Parts: sequence; C-alpha cells; structure tokens
Amino acid sequence: MAVRIATALVGGYAAAAALATLAARLLRIDRAEATSWAMILSFAVYCGVALWALHERRLARVMLVVWGTALVAASLAYLLGVRP
Amino acid sequence: MRVTLRQSMAWIHGWLGLLAGWILFAMFLTGTASYFRPEITQWMQPEFRSVPVGAPRAAQTATAYMQQVGADDVQWFVYLPDSRTSATRIYEQRNPASKVPAVASEIVLDPATGAPLRARDTRGGEHFYRFHFQLQLPYPWGRWLAGLCAMFMLGAIVSGVITHKRIFADFFTMRWNKGQRSWLDAHNVSAVLALPYHAMITYTGLITLVAMYMPWPVAANYAKPLDFGAVAFGIPADRDASGKPAPLVDIGALVANAETRFGAPATRMVVRNPNDSAATVTVYRHPTASLNARGPSVTYSGSTGRVLEASTGSGPALATAGVMLGLHVAQFAGTAVRWTYFALGLTGAAMVGTGLLLWTTKRRKPGAVPFFGLALVERLNIAVVAGLPPAMAAYLLANRLIPAGIEGRAGMEVAAMFWTWGALAVLQFVRPARRAWVEGFAIGAVAFAAIPVANAVMTARGLPGSLSNGDTLFASFDIAMLGVAGVLAFGAARAGRKVKMPVRRRVREMAHV
Repeated sequence: MAVRIATALVGGYAAAAALATLAARLLRIDRAEATSWAMILSFAVYCGVALWALHERRLARVMLVVWGTALVAASLAYLLGVRP
Repeated sequence: MRVTLRQSMAWIHGWLGLLAGWILFAMFLTGTASYFRPEITQWMQPEFRSVPVGAPRAAQTATAYMQQVGADDVQWFVYLPDSRTSATRIYEQRNPASKVPAVASEIVLDPATGAPLRARDTRGGEHFYRFHFQLQLPYPWGRWLAGLCAMFMLGAIVSGVITHKRIFADFFTMRWNKGQRSWLDAHNVSAVLALPYHAMITYTGLITLVAMYMPWPVAANYAKPLDFGAVAFGIPADRDASGKPAPLVDIGALVANAETRFGAPATRMVVRNPNDSAATVTVYRHPTASLNARGPSVTYSGSTGRVLEASTGSGPALATAGVMLGLHVAQFAGTAVRWTYFALGLTGAAMVGTGLLLWTTKRRKPGAVPFFGLALVERLNIAVVAGLPPAMAAYLLANRLIPAGIEGRAGMEVAAMFWTWGALAVLQFVRPARRAWVEGFAIGAVAFAAIPVANAVMTARGLPGSLSNGDTLFASFDIAMLGVAGVLAFGAARAGRKVKMPVRRRVREMAHV
C-alpha cells in the first residue's frame, strides 16, 4: 500500500510534470502559450493519474505505467533540450 | 475488496477528505474571510477614515514621501488605493550601497496627505489571506502543504462525483435528525449545491501558485525563466541604472495617462531606479476592469515621460490563466457577487466539516467505546471545526482590546488567534465529546457576538452610530459578526439535541466503504 500511495502521490506528480514539460516543448504554437497551456492542464493530468493509480488493482501495472510515463517523457524532454 | 469504480472512488474520497480535511476547513474559512480583506483591514483601523482620492493623486503623494526616505532605492512597489482600500502601501527595494536603514518593511500612507498612516498597528485582513495559503508556516513549506491539500481536494471532488450517482435528486434531499443519514445529506447538499464553485475554487487555487508548483514546462521553453515571467506577468524588461541623475517627471500625470489608455483605474505602479536618467515607471490596470486578473500594463520613462513599452493582449492560454486567477481572488466582484462568493465559501467549509463528521458518524457503534483512531479523529474534528471560529473571533476581539499604541501589538493579535485555538483544542479533552461540540460552538457564538459590543465600547464607530451615520462598512461588518454568531448558536443548539436513530433502512445510495 505504501508503494501504491507513493506511486500515486510522487509518481503521479512526476508523470504529470514530465508530460506537461514534453507537451510544452512539442506544441507548435507560441512558446508562452504552449508553456501556459501545459501548466494549466498539468493538475488535471496529475489528478487523473493519481486516482487511477489508487484504483487499478494490479500494482505492477500501476508502477510500470506511472513511473514509465514519467521516465520516458522526462527523458524525451531532456533530449530535446530547451526550445531554440 | 474494492471491485467497482464507484466503490474504489468512495474509499479514495473518504481518505483524501479525512487526511486533508482539517487543513482544508481552515483554508476555506480563512479564504472566505479574505474576500473581504481590505474591509477587514479598514475595520481593524477604526481611527483612520480615508478621504477618497484618485490613483494619480495617491501616486503623487506616495512619490513625494518616497523621495524623502528612499530617493536612491532600486525600486518602489506602490499599491494604490481604490474604492475598497483606503491606504497606499509601498514596499521598497533598498539600494545595497545605502547607509541609511529602511524606515519599515512596509510603508503605509494616507493617500490624501502622503503622511504615514496614523492608526493602530495591525496585520488586518492580510493575516487571514496569508494564512489561507501559507498556513503560518515558513516559506516555502506552507505553500507546498496548502498545494498538497488543494490537490487532495481536487482528487476528493473528482472521486466524490464519481461515487455519487444521484446528483440531481440531492438538490432536494435533506433529512434532518436521522443521524448518519442526515450528515450524509448535509454533506451532499453542501457539496452538490455549490459543486461548480468548489471545483472552480480548487483548480484556480492551484493555478494561483502554478509557477511554484509546476515550473517544469517553463524550463522546456526558456533558457532564462524570467523571460516567461516578462510575457506572462507583464514584468517590463530590465533596464539598468545609467548612473546619470535625472529628476522624475510628474508621476501623477503618468498614472492619469495610463488610466486613460486602460479606460479603467490603475492599481499598482513600480518605479525602477528613481532619479536616474534610465528610470522607468510601470503602471498596472485595476483587476475590477476584467475577469482576467492579469490586466495590461504600460511602462514610461521616468525622466522623460515617454511610453517605453505597453503590454499587448495575451493569447488564449495566458488569458485563461489570468481569468482563473481572477475567478479565485474575485477582485472583479462587486458587492452582490462578493457576498455570493462569501456564502459559497461557507458552503465549502460546511462541506468539508460535514464530511469530517460523516467519517466518525459512520464508524461509531451505538454503545461501544470508540477505538483510538475514531476518538482521535473526533477530537481533531472538534479542535478544528468548533475551535477555529472562536480563534478567528479572538483575533478580531484582540484588535479592539489590545491598547492601540503599544509596541508589537500586530503580533499580539495574531498570537491571540493561535493561543485561543490551541487552548480550545486542548481544553476540550476534559469534556465529553458531545458536550465539547456544544460548548465549542457556544464559545464561538459568544465570541462573535462580543465583537460588535467591543467595537461599540472601544471605538466611536459602534453599530447604532454606524447605522445612523451611513458608515456602511462598519455597520455591515458588525451585522455580519452577529450573523456568524447566530449560525454558531444554531450549531450549538443542534449539536446539543439528542439524535434518535430510526434505522429503518441502511444508507445505501452512497456508502463510503
């Protein structure tokens, strides 16, 4: 249970933050607009991911999806670097 | 084991609500009070009656004062008065080379004369406002904790809505005096009735501090994060001091010009490098002008008065963020909308409070000794739900009872609130839980009823006089305090009634498993 809660709380934040960062970087609109949309929507993503992590019964799947999303999205954002 | 979505959401809803509930209750009450932040401040300085002046005049008097105490400052941040705020507030960024210490961390002036405000030292409405999102904890921990609780609230709203299958019927369902079912109904009525408000205020609350909670998207697009701030928050480009002295032009004229450009009053100005040839004056539009709290700004040269830059309209995302901020802080609201916000804020506190009570009611077995967790939650419920209102009353009472002239009185007022809260939280343990509820609410009712009395005795602006003189702010404030006292007295009366428990049917429509 502790692992699940940590995954929902910390992993959910990491996944939401990484997805928002990646989306902000990839959206082909004005950079201030892209940044702002990503920030605004990030809390909804966090909420959804965290609730799903608490609901889904298979813990291995929860961990794989949540931490996997965070890792992949963060790595991609890192590799892309700051928007030129 | 949890099977359906609704069951798992009910379980999540119960725990999210319980863990964050006490802090959320306090955030709701102090946040609700903060809709009247400038009015509370005015009430807490009864000796000061402002002569309303326009923002241009206030900018002139503020500049004249700052030329005396901080002519070589790096920046002056000047918050101009408006129809609700009677004083000018100034924060200065001192020149590091300056030998003279600052007069005060915050300078408060009478806008009509430009002299320091002669009124009792108090935190005013600012105290409730700060507590609402900082929780009296050191920076940044209070803000992080408030953000975490807001996130729990968001999760609780979403899971609560999924749990709930008869949202429309609950508009009309309130069964009194049926024990647990009544608390469930009360929780549902307060939650469902104002659901759009709760969802809005929670999400927009997170948005107010989004730059702190979710800064990562900025890092993806900006090598220098301040560049985002320049676009998003209307911070003008940095212009370093030239080192060549040059007198400031008439700042009142600049503010008047900005108001003409905005077609709305000015709210704030930032003077950078005053008395330097590279001085700038940035004027911001008042948030009453639009739902979007981040209005446009215009930056002038302080030495020539020419317009250097004017922020243009922002795109849809930034406008959305600005409107979300505006919806949360409600500075656009007129009197009727403001009171509506106040009432909705109270339903928020009621929703959290009844939810906390529900957690204990449904776990209590008739005649059985409550297990430790249940007893603990019940005592914490009393400490927060019954204990915070008298503590807030103590803050306001302290304002009238602590002598106006003594040193450090602003801190004493704040201390009065927390000592009262702490004392009530501890003292309730000597009473049985049911009596503690009744007495807690009764103390609150007496304390709030005492506020207009203390006001009438200690100041010349008591309720009879304020009513007959048309002193609307003081009359409304005192009547509102009596209203709060009435609500708490009602709470005490109801908490004291014996509840008959006719358990005919199990509550099944929304079992919090």
